[in-house]
Formats: sequence, C-alpha cells, structure tokens
Amino acid sequence: MSVESLVGPGLQAGPAERRARRWIAASVAAFCAAAIVLPFIGPSPLDLSRVWMRQEPDWSIFVQLRLSRTLLGLFAGAALALGGSVFQAMLRDALATPDMLGVSSGASLGAVVAIALGWHLAAGVSGIWAGALGGAAAVLVLVVVAATRQRDMSAHGLLLAGVATNSVCWALILLIHSLSGLSQSFAISRWLIGSLDAIDYRALAVFVVAVVVAAILVIRRARQWNLLAVGDAWAGTRGGDVRQLLRFGYIAGSFLAASTVALTGPIGFVGLVVPHLVRVRISADDRVLMPCAFFFGGVLLASCDAVGRVILAPAEVPAGAITACIGGPYLLWLLRRR
Amino acid sequence: MSVMRLDEIAWRAGGVTVVERVSFEVAAGEFVALMGRNGAGKSTVLDVMAGLRQPSAGAVTLDGRPLASWTPDERARRVGHLPQAVRAELPFTVEQLVLMGRYPHADRWFESDADRRAAEHAMTTCECLMFRDRRISTLSGGERQRVLLAACLAQEPALLLLDEPSTFLDVDQQLQCFSLLRADAESGRACVAVTHDLNLALTFCTRVIVLAGKTVARDMTAADAAARHDWLPLFSSRLQIDTTRDGRPWVSYR
Repeated sequence: MSVESLVGPGLQAGPAERRARRWIAASVAAFCAAAIVLPFIGPSPLDLSRVWMRQEPDWSIFVQLRLSRTLLGLFAGAALALGGSVFQAMLRDALATPDMLGVSSGASLGAVVAIALGWHLAAGVSGIWAGALGGAAAVLVLVVVAATRQRDMSAHGLLLAGVATNSVCWALILLIHSLSGLSQSFAISRWLIGSLDAIDYRALAVFVVAVVVAAILVIRRARQWNLLAVGDAWAGTRGGDVRQLLRFGYIAGSFLAASTVALTGPIGFVGLVVPHLVRVRISADDRVLMPCAFFFGGVLLASCDAVGRVILAPAEVPAGAITACIGGPYLLWLLRRR
Repeated sequence: MSVMRLDEIAWRAGGVTVVERVSFEVAAGEFVALMGRNGAGKSTVLDVMAGLRQPSAGAVTLDGRPLASWTPDERARRVGHLPQAVRAELPFTVEQLVLMGRYPHADRWFESDADRRAAEHAMTTCECLMFRDRRISTLSGGERQRVLLAACLAQEPALLLLDEPSTFLDVDQQLQCFSLLRADAESGRACVAVTHDLNLALTFCTRVIVLAGKTVARDMTAADAAARHDWLPLFSSRLQIDTTRDGRPWVSYR
C-alpha cells in the first residue's frame, strides 16, 4: 500500500526542518561574524579605518598576527567539535571524544618527539605536524587492533584500550620532557598547554583545506551517524554499512583531532562541550548537530583565544587554559545531571 | 510469491553451532511466528534474514537474488527489522526516530513531504503520534516499543522481521500489535515475528515455525498447529491445547 493513498497531499516542510535550517544558518553567520570581529580584539586596539587603508602598524598586526590566529582558532575549534560529534555518535556516549581513545595523546607524543629531536621538516611538512599525525595514526591502529574481536570492534574494548594507551603516551611524554634540554623542555611545556599562535598562511591553507574536506566527508554521512547512534542493528537494517562506517569514523575523527593538535597542542573540552550543548539545546539529529557543532566549535575556540589575549593583558592566557576553565565546570555539571 | 528463502542455513561462532540445516521460505501475505525455547537460535535466524549476520553455510535469497548481493540501501527498502530493544537514553525525539525508517527511501538532506506523511501514518497506526515531539528517553518501555514498530512500518518493507515485538507491551497493546501485523500481512506484506507467546501466535499468525535441536523442528500452518499437540513438548511437558467457548485454540498449562 503506498503512502500517497493513505494520507492526503499538501504537507509543507515541518517546523523541525525549518528550525534546523535556521540554526545551521545562524551557526554559519556566527562563524563569519567571529572571523570579522575577533581579529580586532587584543591588547593593542586596532583602528578599522587604518586597517582598511592598510596603514602600519595596524595592517601588519591585523594580517600577520590576529587574522591568521583567529582563522586557526575557528577551524581548529570546528575540527575538534566535529571530531567529538563523530566519536559520540559511534560510541553512543555523550562524554566520548578522540581524547578518550588516546588519539590526542598519541598526537601529542608524536609532536613532543618531533620537538625533542628538533625535526623542523619531514618530507616537506612541518615536523611537529608530521609527528602528531604519525603518533595519532599509530595509536589509532594500536587501539583498534586491541579492541577488535572476530572483525568486530566493541565500544567497551575501544575505551579500555584507549585508557591504557593514554596512560602509556602521557608517561612517555613526561619521560621525554624530563630528558630534554632546557630550550626543548620549555618548547614542549609551552606546546602541551595548548594555545593558538600566529601561523604562516601556507600552513594555515593546508590545514583549512584538510579540515574542510574531512568535514564534508563526515557531515555527508550524517544520516548514517544518526542510525549508528541508535544501534548497530538499527543502522545495519536501514541502509548503513556499519563496519565501513565505523572504520571511516575512527579515521576521520582521529584525523580531525590529530591535525588540530599538531598546530595548537592538546586543547580539551571543545570536542565535548560544543556537541553536547548543540544536542541538548538545538537538535540531536546529526544533520543539524554536526554542521552546528562545526561552526559553533570554531566560534568557541576563537572567542576563548580572544578572551585570553585581553583578560590579563599584556600577558596572554592560552586558549587551552580558557577552554579548560569553561569545560571543567561544565563536565562536572554534566556528570551531576546524568 | 516467495519473498525470502533460507536454504540449509548454519551459523557458528567460536566453535559452537547455534543453528544448522535451517530451511524455509516466507511468502507475501504470510505472518510467521518463529518460536522455540531460549537459546534455540530464533534471533540468530532473524539476524541472518536481516543481513546482520553472515551464515556460516547455506544460502539466503531475497526476491530470488542472493541477500549478500543487495546493497545496504536496496536491502533496507525490502527488509525491515525490529530489534529486541534499543537503549532507553536515546537523545532523539519520537519523530526523528520514526523518520529514520525513511532514510533508505530518501535522496535529499531532509525528508520529503511523502516521507513525512509515511512517518505520520505509521505513528498514527502505532498510536504514538501524540508524543511525536517527546524524547525517546522520556517514554515508558511500551511506548518506546510502539515507536520502534512505527519506525519499521514507516520503512514500508516487503518483509518485516520482528524480534519479540510484544516485549514491554501491556495485554491490550500486545493484542493491538499482533492485530496490526496480521492486517499488514493480509494487505500483502510478509511478517516474521519471534515470540514466546503461543496464544498470540495461534490466534494471529498464519504459520508457526518451531526451532529446536538447532534446526527447524516444526513448520506448520497455524490451523495445523491448533489441531496437533505433538509440538507442545518442544516448549514444555506441562502444556496442552484447549478450545475456548468461541472455538479458538488456547494453550494452557497444568
């Protein structure tokens, strides 16, 4: 019996869909507004007309320091929030992030090794970036192999393997840190706090392209993430290829987290707080949640960085410290409510 | 017309044979009760039919074509599956979950008007339209089960596989659920339901398949099942079939 024969025609797009479209548009608008406004926030005020006329030093501060840093914050936050959304859908846990599977600590270990050994370039790529991606990939393979039984991965096994790998990675980071020379030790400490700095535009362009491509591939599968969030059998009988989806999700989520950690150091809580807020306040539907988390995640991190620039000026508070100050209490509140 | 055919199916895991030499066909218009004691392999056979488990031996065909050769989307448009349960703390609303039944049919980002109408019709049929905006986590077990059934109906499959569909339902809802499935079968759909309720099976189903000894021990029409008693010991030695005042078979226990 066809649907058309059962109920009459003439229904319009539902209110839920109209609301979803409005929220996605609002998140894009907030992202664009942050890109325009946040570069003007800093310890030394910038004159808009001087920037517009390309007069020094305002123009150089705007272009060389603030704009690249803001764009890095926007796309790094977007990548972390989207990575968190993917892991939360796959593990069916609102507290899941790539950090729990050791991906971020693996990336940190790789980056710390690169700093300690003085790798500036590896195959034409920044040594820290290459180290972080290599560390994340190694940890991902290790965790997935450890958690796989008869070609099936269990969420429980992944979490346990992730916890164990996390501990080993952080132990190795501490060991390398303690054995490094003074300048490398300082560089490692500074990097481990997690912060945003002005970045070369070529490196930023590579990062933005990588994040945008990964984000498009992830968000295109939003319907399948919805199915997976209900259950493997639910997804497997509604058009999802569960095994392939999980494999893609772990790789894409880890790539998003690792490529960000490589440039910013480990920044916590963005991947946890933003998807959860969007889920509770806007929609649990990943077709809405993932784009909104992507754009609002960027806004949150770039805003935290802007706050860090002025809150104790002329000193700077790293963005990682600000997100931790917001995310820690939020996590406690979340645990109370669960 | 045969929708699905199982030919000498076996499923083994970790050196343990759960089922073997399982063969039967399901045709359009049939409402089949798949029964057996705990551990008889009912859910395993249902999972094999849904494509969730690959059989260790034997062949499964859907519309005459090997099940494994169907893409996940193609298969989902033909076969629906109601799991035994889903986790209670799902963050989705009722409407969002029911609309997931339309995903295999949808080719745009959000659902079309026809998809929304199908979901609305399924929610009306399963009496859950009134709480379409509530989160799944706020529903009782019975309400949740009705929502899951609505999601399966919204999928409009030719073959509907249900793993204990009356779980969590009160008596009235159980009767409504099985009446609905019987009517659905009469309108042309093939339904296979795993159930432990012999009376619901004899009253509403058109055919009864009993799994015992890792294989199909009985495959009979519901009328045959009501007339014979020799299959009851496969469940318990204390069962007997009586007849109610209006002539219906009724399984009672001593």
